[in-house]
Amino acid sequence: MSATENKKLMEKIYAGSANRDGSLFIQSLADDVTWCVTGQNKWSRTFKGKASVLGDLQGHFQSLLVQRSRTVAHRFIADGDWVVVEARGDNMTKTGVRYDNEYCMVFRLMDGMIVEIREYCDSALVERALGDFPASRIPAAV
Amino acid sequence: MSASENKKLMEEIFAGLANRNGTLLTERMSEDFRWINIGTTKWSGTFDGKAAVQRDLLAPLRARLVERSRTVAHRFIAEGDYVVVEARGDNVTRAGMPYNNEYCFVFRLSGGKIQEVREYSDTALIDAVLGDPKDALAATR
Repeated sequence: MSATENKKLMEKIYAGSANRDGSLFIQSLADDVTWCVTGQNKWSRTFKGKASVLGDLQGHFQSLLVQRSRTVAHRFIADGDWVVVEARGDNMTKTGVRYDNEYCMVFRLMDGMIVEIREYCDSALVERALGDFPASRIPAAV
Repeated sequence: MSASENKKLMEEIFAGLANRNGTLLTERMSEDFRWINIGTTKWSGTFDGKAAVQRDLLAPLRARLVERSRTVAHRFIAEGDYVVVEARGDNVTRAGMPYNNEYCFVFRLSGGKIQEVREYSDTALIDAVLGDPKDALAATR
């Protein structure tokens, strides 16, 4: 798919995310997708495969929130297989803490599916509002 | 300039930064250049104007490091006026701590000049290693 088509798909996915609807996102993840939480913080690691991305990373993250997450994109930059999305979260944790992070998400797409995600955000806020990433959710080394 | 010309310029700028050379970066900042550091750290905020960026952001950072900073880009993504650069730092602080952050910079260019950058990085690492920018310059006086 062209950069324009990739961008259009990501715009549709984030139209869902702005309404707490992750169905198109989940549908568009390739089975062998990788999600790298960049950096050296408590959540930094690469989650490999759709099952781990949804079960380990998203599973834990969503379990901390009052509602399914809301993420509002404000810029899309597309070039070849890559689409960069700048976005803002709008969330409340079950412990009553605001969690409104600022994200820069770098997506690589192939044939209409997301094959790679690299996430940059305010990790100081992640650690403060969400705590450590739990050992029980860390995927076994493959 | 086109997206590919903007990308080429950012590639040249980062070829310098990989060798601790920020001359071209400084040269290509517009006078009203704005640097936005996302997040909630003591280094977070909006630095308005080339002079403020240099005085309030880059000078304190330089004061923290043993040498001029080294930043190695590994991906450039360009569309229209925007160039996104993913990069890795390779630095040591005067206190002897490694400071190897991972960055995603979103640059906006116009007429061959950089108008704005939004910096995303591992802010927990900034807090842990760089401390307060207000103390950084004082420490070297």
